[in-house]
Amino acid sequence: MAAFTYAPAIVLLPFVSFLVALFAGDRMPKGGALAGITATGGSLLLSIWVALTVAGGETYNQFVYTWVAGVESLQLRFGLLLDPLSALMLLIVCLISFLVHIFSLGYMNDEDETGLPRYYAGLGLFTASMLGFVVANNLLMAFMFFELVGLCSYLLIGFWFREAGPPSAAKKAFLVTRFGDYFFLIGVVGIFATFGTGLFAPVTQGGEVVAESFPVLAEHAVIDGETESIAMLDTVGMSAQAWFTVLGLLVLGGVIGKSAQFPLHTWLPDAMEGPTPVSALIHAATMVAAGVYLVARMYGFYAISPTALAVIALVGGFTALFAATMGLVKQEIKQVLAYSTISQYGYMMLALGSGGYIAAVFHLTTHAVFKALLFLGAGSVIIAMHHNENMWDMGGLKERMPVTYWTFLSGSLALAGIVPFAGFWSKDEVLYEALIHGFGTEGGLGTAYLLAYAMGLLAVFFTGFYTFRMVYLTFHGNARSDTARDPVPVRWNVKGPLAVLGFLAATIGFINMKPVAELTGAHIDFLHVWLNGPDEGGWPAALNTGLHHYETLLHDVAHVTKGYPLGETPTLLASAGISLGLALAGVLAARSLYAGPDPVEHTDKLGGLKTVLMHNYYQDEYQVWLATGVTYPVARAMDKFDQGVVDGVVNGVSSVSLFGGSRIRRIQSGLVSNYAMLLTLGLVLLLAFFGVMGGWF
Amino acid sequence: MAQLPSWMGLAPALALGLASLVLLLSDSIDPDTTNTPALAGISVVGSLVALASAVGFIIGGTGVPTSEGGQGTPVLFGGQLVVDQMALFFMVIVASVTALVVLASYDYVSEHSYQAEFFALVMLSATGMTLLSAANSLATAFVALELVSLPSYALVAFLKKNRGGVEAGLKYFLIGAVSSAVLAYGISLVYAATGVLRFDGIATAISSGTIQTIVDGSVQAQSGEPAVPMSILGVGILMVIGGVAFKTAAVPFHFWAPEAYEGAPAPISGFLSSASKAAGFVLAFRVFAVAFPIGDLLATGGAINWVVAFQILAIATMFIGNFAAATQEKVKRMLAYSSVGHAGYVLIGLAAVSASGEGLSFSISAGMSHLLVYGFMNTGAFLFIALAEYWGVGRRFEDYNGLGKEAPVACAAMTVFLFSLAGLPIGGGFFSKFYLFQATLNVGAWSLAAALIINSALSLFYYSRVVKAMWIEEPTGERSIDSYPMGLYTAVVGAAIVTFLLVPGFNQVSEIAFQAAQLL
Repeated sequence: MAAFTYAPAIVLLPFVSFLVALFAGDRMPKGGALAGITATGGSLLLSIWVALTVAGGETYNQFVYTWVAGVESLQLRFGLLLDPLSALMLLIVCLISFLVHIFSLGYMNDEDETGLPRYYAGLGLFTASMLGFVVANNLLMAFMFFELVGLCSYLLIGFWFREAGPPSAAKKAFLVTRFGDYFFLIGVVGIFATFGTGLFAPVTQGGEVVAESFPVLAEHAVIDGETESIAMLDTVGMSAQAWFTVLGLLVLGGVIGKSAQFPLHTWLPDAMEGPTPVSALIHAATMVAAGVYLVARMYGFYAISPTALAVIALVGGFTALFAATMGLVKQEIKQVLAYSTISQYGYMMLALGSGGYIAAVFHLTTHAVFKALLFLGAGSVIIAMHHNENMWDMGGLKERMPVTYWTFLSGSLALAGIVPFAGFWSKDEVLYEALIHGFGTEGGLGTAYLLAYAMGLLAVFFTGFYTFRMVYLTFHGNARSDTARDPVPVRWNVKGPLAVLGFLAATIGFINMKPVAELTGAHIDFLHVWLNGPDEGGWPAALNTGLHHYETLLHDVAHVTKGYPLGETPTLLASAGISLGLALAGVLAARSLYAGPDPVEHTDKLGGLKTVLMHNYYQDEYQVWLATGVTYPVARAMDKFDQGVVDGVVNGVSSVSLFGGSRIRRIQSGLVSNYAMLLTLGLVLLLAFFGVMGGWF
Repeated sequence: MAQLPSWMGLAPALALGLASLVLLLSDSIDPDTTNTPALAGISVVGSLVALASAVGFIIGGTGVPTSEGGQGTPVLFGGQLVVDQMALFFMVIVASVTALVVLASYDYVSEHSYQAEFFALVMLSATGMTLLSAANSLATAFVALELVSLPSYALVAFLKKNRGGVEAGLKYFLIGAVSSAVLAYGISLVYAATGVLRFDGIATAISSGTIQTIVDGSVQAQSGEPAVPMSILGVGILMVIGGVAFKTAAVPFHFWAPEAYEGAPAPISGFLSSASKAAGFVLAFRVFAVAFPIGDLLATGGAINWVVAFQILAIATMFIGNFAAATQEKVKRMLAYSSVGHAGYVLIGLAAVSASGEGLSFSISAGMSHLLVYGFMNTGAFLFIALAEYWGVGRRFEDYNGLGKEAPVACAAMTVFLFSLAGLPIGGGFFSKFYLFQATLNVGAWSLAAALIINSALSLFYYSRVVKAMWIEEPTGERSIDSYPMGLYTAVVGAAIVTFLLVPGFNQVSEIAFQAAQLL
């Protein structure tokens, strides 16, 4: 249990580094970077300790601090929930943050950027907030840290605030995610109002449940019909399941904004205006994962709502395909990666929606590694190219930057989903889960799964294509500009993180090689075991956050069942074969078009489609139109109403009041005989009134 | 604890009366004394003893029937006086306000002659108020009321060289004479209609519908059982309302108030607008809750539905008081009108009653609570005016500009008073207004609720003008404050502290008030 005692330090260490960088960064070597590296390193070590303790079968779910003690049972508290899911996420966040801090030495310090204390303060605060979000044991605490990471994202995207692009992109990111968070906030309030608690998992003391969690309460209400204690249901006049679906979808608003899912994905490509290490940390590996993580965190709540599951799966599948097509035609290396990020988070949502809890967490893990790697690799290229990001000005960097090339290639193979790199295993599992659940589940939900699966499958081809288009244009062929012929060399602090991540991108997939496990019968699906826990009793049963519990819920309530059109093993192999084949087809297509020494643009062949893709399906245009064409006139009409009617009434009331007041003043003439007369008159009027009323006369 | 003799129940009134007699005695021995510390000291001690004994009795359970674990209710002089919880509650208000006022007067009158008379008159008037709290018969009530009024006429005109003060005193006296005549006539009509003056006797007459008489202290029907003439009773009740309205400065009997409050020395304005108003209300609450029970009146029919009368008066008083206050240029006159407006709020205590006569206890207790809070915040505000007069700061809003920089403590206290008067939760005024609001909602008196909200919002406007002048505006002219008078400061700061403490303490106050109202 000792590890859990020190667990709050995981969050607090980066926070201290934030304070140090903010207040003493000027006077420190490297502008506060060393404090950040030390803090995240320390957090990483503590996270490993926590993960090892969790691996030993222990979990932790306790309140740490009560900041609002309610009159009745409602209390607002901070608490820590450390179970396999959060322990894994802690590892990911700490690791990436640690590597990004080191990489920043090369990207920011060696480039003589100004404002470094501000940069490292932002990174520190972000890391602290993200870790706080990960360990949060209740929804309100999660929401608060969710907003804090959004704030840090805003601050860091706009780091170069003197240029034109970054401040505008920062504002866009802030506003678009806020739009989603607005629904999230309503959802949080709704969940608190419905259940009186926001706990993700029940708090137990000595085997007794002392504070129930809202997913468990919801589960009891839907399965056992225990709705008496939920007064909210009478208020809204809905069945328990319908109301919980509404609440789940409200929370999903925040998820869609933060994880850049359609239609709130438009902020992420613009967010690439920020420094590239920031893109790697925040806009690829961690913050964007917060949305997906939140769904996984309260998966028990979504598992009892088939509608919400279908929405999640469809949004995910559609986003995966939609974003992949937009990535096909981009010219800047970070833009390709941004659309790829949106697409990959689509896969995770697809997995969560279609009952593939493990697949989603698995893909979250592998993606964090290989996408951080790709962004850092792109950062290395950008250093070399004097901050020119256009791929058509690159070419031939393979010989001049071998470390960057080979690690980037490792990440690209992982992203494209080529065996045996990480992305293959996780993406294959996502698609496999969608497929078997699509076949097995009856009714509309099954159809939705199959539709989402089809979109996700098609996106595999596009992923392979755009990934290797990027690789060929950047590293192969002849150099197409002077800077590409003579790139700036990068130092150890860039190569080191790349090497670590490059190795991991190739190997991290081995933690859950499901097809191999299936074929050989060896128990090497470690992630499955990690999240599943012992099948009976033990910690997942106490917390209700184990995979086993979720699978039961999915099966019992949403009737998500497995179906094997070709029998179990052949289906597995066919699914893996199809996705691998499509990925390879994409890679080969890219090779045939862009592999030559002097590749040319082929986008014109797309004709009108090119324009559509270049403009991202006019997503920005229609959202701007929504703002200027709809919201603005409505706001103006409201303003007119406010100015004219509301203010008019208020002004009218005050002028009437003052006029009336001055009239009343005039009654006070100062003549005592007038007073006596008015007094008597008043009395007589009262007498007359009551005399008539009471029939005295 | 041994049972005290029942006359001890009047200890608060006795303490105040004794103090006034001591002051008169010293005045007759040494008419030209300027030994202000001694005079003010006697008065403060007298009022504090009164306060302590009243609080002690409330906590000790005097006025609560023995069957409910209390000490029983002392009834004196054949039922002419009764010391119940409500009487004690109002004695607390009166004694606190008197203590604050005499403490503040220490600095205010030290430059003037006839100081002993000043203090003696204040104490006499306070004695009248405590007696009025306990009065259980229309005759006693009338006498006590005059004991309250006559010294106050003189007090308003205390600064003989001040033309405004003398004029206001005279007007106050004349209007008071008219009102007393109305009240006396009303009392005589009630007596004619019911045959009794004691409140419980009047109630019996109304409920039984026959004229009563009192034999050996007990109420019984007159021989032949003649019926109560309801129309005469109705006119009498309406005129009693008139007399009460004068004392509480409610429309249309309010004309004296703005001028008397403005012309009088500021501590006296505070005294009249807080304590004297409270005394008027205790009479109203007791007469209308005990002597003219609304349920019986409605059941018998024919006489008068006084709830409607109070609703009219409450709404008219709220609007006229607050609207007139909004357009004033002088701070003291603004406070004078706002005091009229507050009388309107407290009248809700008798107006927020349902059509069948339910909810009276709750609304009366709301009115009582508001009067208690008001006793501190309004007296405090007038004492701040006294402080400003002491410094020679002008009377207009502009003259207060920048005062916050020179006297931050007093101005902070004034801010507490004003915001509490407006109903912001910085002082007890928020809760007492909210309590009144609740009383209106309980019986669905929407017009009263709306009037309360509208007028509170309006009052925030004119109270904030003073706050803005004190803290935000730059001083317009030269002004130098060279002394910080001890007595005034103590009184102002003390009132501010109590006003603030009534935020957490309001619950206890409202509980006592509710119990007192229920026991009527």
